Amino acid sequence: MSGIDAVKKIVETEAEARRIVEEARQRAQQIIAEASKEAERVREEVLADARRRREEMLTRAREEAEKEAMESEKETEKLIQDYRRAFEERKNDAVRKAVELVLQE
Amino acid sequence: MSESLDKLRNRILSDARLKADETIREANEKAEQSRKDAREKAEREASEILARAEAEAEAARRSIISSRIRANRLRLLEERNKIVQSVLGDVEQRLSTIATTGNFQDIVKRLATEAIDAIGSDHPTVRIGFPKASGDKFNLPAGALPRGATIVYDDKLAEELGGVVASDPEGKIAYRNTFRARLDRLDRELLTLISSTIFGDQQPDQTQKVVATAA
Repeated sequence: MSGIDAVKKIVETEAEARRIVEEARQRAQQIIAEASKEAERVREEVLADARRRREEMLTRAREEAEKEAMESEKETEKLIQDYRRAFEERKNDAVRKAVELVLQE
Repeated sequence: MSESLDKLRNRILSDARLKADETIREANEKAEQSRKDAREKAEREASEILARAEAEAEAARRSIISSRIRANRLRLLEERNKIVQSVLGDVEQRLSTIATTGNFQDIVKRLATEAIDAIGSDHPTVRIGFPKASGDKFNLPAGALPRGATIVYDDKLAEELGGVVASDPEGKIAYRNTFRARLDRLDRELLTLISSTIFGDQQPDQTQKVVATAA
């Protein structure tokens, strides 16, 4: 092999080496870009899950509050009935006592 | 020479591959770190969202319960008030027909005596008036009122459910002892009496239990 051929071979080999390094660099960029996209996707997923759980918590809290409020309303309704019954039973007594109080002030 | 040239070429390629592998490895590490950082950051944000959500949920729950409890309490108070007002209406009705009762003269005498005592005059003017009564009904017994008292029948007092107004001769001091005035003076006492008679121990506090759980 002549000296020129040897130099030629080395030049070709260095070109191939540069190609290998360049391809690796491009692949590395691609890996980082993909990782960045994936990180963003993961972030969106985690946050979306948190927002969904937030909505669930609010909905559940409202439903529980409605249930408690309904209980309170039932009790109120019962008390109103009790008041009305007491009024019918004790009205005359209350009027009599009040008239006596006014007359004897 | 050919052998050493091959060695040189192999070394060049080997170095290039090593460098390429190192570049890829670094990229993979960076990528992994980037994913990890993103997940950790997202989880921190998610925790904050959920912590705020817990507070929001509790606030929403309290808001709903307390507004409904207020509304219920108001309903109870309105119902009690309606009942008490109804009783007061009956009391007024009863007082307005007092002239038709047997002890009417005694009542008039008591009202007049109180009014005269209140103004402290020996020559008071005593105006008397009741619904369903006329002037000739006031045949007060002798000595029922001070000797110097002047009795005047006043129809207008019937508008105040009836009663007596005593004033000194100059008309500077007057004491209204009408049923309306007595009702006004006894306002709080009457409300308490009627309320305790009708409702006894029934207090509008049934919602306290719910308030306690909401607090």
